Amino acid sequence: MRQERWKTGVVAAGALVLALGPFTGAALGQAPSRTGARLPRTYEGAPPLVPHDVESRKGLCQECHATGAEGAPITPHPDRNHACVQCHVGQDLSVKPFVPSTWRR
Amino acid sequence: MRIDRREFIRATVTAGVVSAVGADLLVPPEAQAQPVVDRWQKAPCRFCGTGCGVLVGVRRGRVVAVRGDAESAVNRGLLCIKGYSLPKILYGADRLTTPLVRKGGRFVPITWDAALDLAAQRIKGAVRAHGPESVAAYFSGQSTIFEGYAINKLWKGGLGTNNLEGNPRLCMASAVTGFYSTFGMDEPMGCYDDLDLTDTVFAWGSNVAEMHPILYSRIVARKHQDPRVMLVSLQTFTNRTSEEPADLAVVFKPHSDLALANAMAHVLVKEGLVDREFVARHTVAKRGLEQIGFGLRDTDEYGGQPPSWATFKPFSDRGTVITFDEYVKFLEPYTPEHAEQVSGVPADRIRTMARLYGDPARKVVSLWTMGFNQHTRGTWINNLLYNLHLLTGKIAAPGNGPLSLTGQPSACGTTRETGALAHLLPAGHFVANPEHRKKAAEIWKVPVERISPRPGYHTMEMFRALDRGDVKVIWINTTNPFQTLPHAGRYRTGARRGGDRFVIVSEVYPSETSRLADLVLPSAMWVEKEGMFGNTERRTQHWAKMVEPPGRARDDLWQIVELAKRLGLGGLFEYGDVPLQKGLFEEYRRWGRGKGKDLAPYEVYTKVRGGLRWPVVDNQETRWRYREGFDPYVKKGEGVRFYGNPDGRAVIWARPWEAPPEAPDGEYPFWLTTGRVLEHWHTGTMTRRVPELHRAVPFAPVWLHDDDAKALGVADGDRVRVASRRGEVVARARVGGRNTPPRGTVVVPFFDESVLINVVTLDGYDPISKQPDFKKCAVRVTKA
Repeated sequence: MRQERWKTGVVAAGALVLALGPFTGAALGQAPSRTGARLPRTYEGAPPLVPHDVESRKGLCQECHATGAEGAPITPHPDRNHACVQCHVGQDLSVKPFVPSTWRR
Repeated sequence: MRIDRREFIRATVTAGVVSAVGADLLVPPEAQAQPVVDRWQKAPCRFCGTGCGVLVGVRRGRVVAVRGDAESAVNRGLLCIKGYSLPKILYGADRLTTPLVRKGGRFVPITWDAALDLAAQRIKGAVRAHGPESVAAYFSGQSTIFEGYAINKLWKGGLGTNNLEGNPRLCMASAVTGFYSTFGMDEPMGCYDDLDLTDTVFAWGSNVAEMHPILYSRIVARKHQDPRVMLVSLQTFTNRTSEEPADLAVVFKPHSDLALANAMAHVLVKEGLVDREFVARHTVAKRGLEQIGFGLRDTDEYGGQPPSWATFKPFSDRGTVITFDEYVKFLEPYTPEHAEQVSGVPADRIRTMARLYGDPARKVVSLWTMGFNQHTRGTWINNLLYNLHLLTGKIAAPGNGPLSLTGQPSACGTTRETGALAHLLPAGHFVANPEHRKKAAEIWKVPVERISPRPGYHTMEMFRALDRGDVKVIWINTTNPFQTLPHAGRYRTGARRGGDRFVIVSEVYPSETSRLADLVLPSAMWVEKEGMFGNTERRTQHWAKMVEPPGRARDDLWQIVELAKRLGLGGLFEYGDVPLQKGLFEEYRRWGRGKGKDLAPYEVYTKVRGGLRWPVVDNQETRWRYREGFDPYVKKGEGVRFYGNPDGRAVIWARPWEAPPEAPDGEYPFWLTTGRVLEHWHTGTMTRRVPELHRAVPFAPVWLHDDDAKALGVADGDRVRVASRRGEVVARARVGGRNTPPRGTVVVPFFDESVLINVVTLDGYDPISKQPDFKKCAVRVTKA
């Protein structure tokens, strides 16, 4: 299986402790490692969603996801840096659906 | 490239065959985990003009998954998050599932028969009372090729009106007029292969990192492979394309691109970087009309007279030939120092960029999208970019050339190629040309007199005519103009002025446009119907119907044919025993055969994975047009021939910088530029119904420079009012994140129907392309 780990409760240091704006809502106004569990994939083969804000951490994905620092899942495709956010998007879980979805697996 | 015979028979792919995908190293291993599906079938993505190939996983009659098609030469297995979200766009809980008619301010369900009878009755009534020019259709770059061809035939060959437009008028009309005026023929000469073969990519006002992510990935992959590869990003604000790994990120003042491009040509001439032989053999210089206005007044295209169909006379200009020396003289004032004054870009930077174009050891690809096209001088800036490639001879060759990116999946395939615009007939034919009308009459089997020689209303004029009452009935299909038209307040009000106006809207979800309709027709979408799309690089792709649409929703081609029957024109769509889609496509193919727009037989597209790039001659697709050895239309010994023009030469246009129609002043001190975000597509009617995309970007913010925010007393997340002379919105301020505007500019995306930024924008347009400018107007920003 995949080598993905997610450690909770550890406060990220340095560059990752950022003042996050309210743009993405309260749920994302936290450092990554305090956001808790990973989010389920939409379906098998869909890219993992990001349980923390990505807007304020642009360019910093590899800081944790290359090495697994702070319990972050390690990317299986490190050669694709600079393009992370075209598949892996941040999720503000406090946002209600625009319209409910009837999609199912 | 000869098409492998085996590719023809790779039709429906079973889950077993798909395991071959594992051989592709570009697909991350974890993305290869298999969802449970009954079958996988090929389709192009439903979103932007890149044209990625996807495999659609269907289970028990529903779309449950997609994956990137590793056999598609476009995306090689990659997708962006919008692509991965395709299954969910079909399943918003508020899908329109029954026809609705407005009664006393409310929508009530009616039967299809009643709905179509009503639509036909209103159309016939308007034609009888006011002539065919009182009826209009506004279709889409998301319509399929079948739908685009069918509505064109029904409107122009059946009803006898050329009042047919597509929303690509708002999207790439300036690219079309740019291609026509320079090369005499539409669409790019090159293709995506150029990105793999070049060593210099210019993104002119195109935020390709967000808007065409898969192409951006391809550029980044090239840079990782070869450190010599350079990405130059020219933008009016700092965005993701400006970031690492871009080598040179330049921010220029809005509208100053005209001066920048001319200054770069100036440098090429002054520094002896012009390919003299190429210029002498393959180009001619021209100068056109100047000070041509902005179409801001309703009288502008009526010779200053009160608007009426009789006086409607769209602007046109053919230009006059000048010598190359006269062109060089025209460039004299455009020194880098002068361009620095206009653009804010340091003169040295301008020289550096010009030298990249001019360096004989470099190949250069230029990309652009809405920054150039949504521009009151859009045709001109397209022309000026071609100049740089023509002056250096870096065009129509592997790794070298201008490549205009498109925003919709079939802006090219449907609207441009089937000719679903007010002045066009299919495959590059024109309503104004008597020979072309004769050909139309023969192919369509209609009396030649029925095809009007007069171009119909272009999009802006069509909606102004609806507001004025000159257009009585309009059918809006697969598009959302009452959110996307500039100065939208006027046209939203115009649609509901009453009288004998009647607005028919075919949609899949409630939208800002369906809410203003008199009659709403529920449509099938994407793989709920059979379709074909044509992407940016002339690639035509087919998909089969895979699932049923919900409720009583029906596909738009069915709607067109059923309406035709009720107008007494059903015969236009009778093809005997041949299925309708095949009948339409085989008829459509006759238009382009031998005209440089040859298409393969219908069956080929149903089978070949990833589609084919036209012209397809003897089963061979064409990667580089106008170039001997690649393009079958260029004879041996000719080398290069721009055969769209009778003399085989491309035009180097002397086009000046001119001031925009509106610029910041004391009262409205900010530039407003509108655009998109990666997660949402256009007006968000599909992507906002995908919970993951909505949670990623739940609303449209107003991006501001930090210093401007401070000066306004606004903090990140505060509500701000953005007001122009036309209207205003209130939205949340955003300082930081993916976009950083320079001081004096604000950036607002248009996907959010609760932030109708187009009530603020200006409805001035390029008089040549008739495309409005959504990127520049003057606004006031205050704390709300």
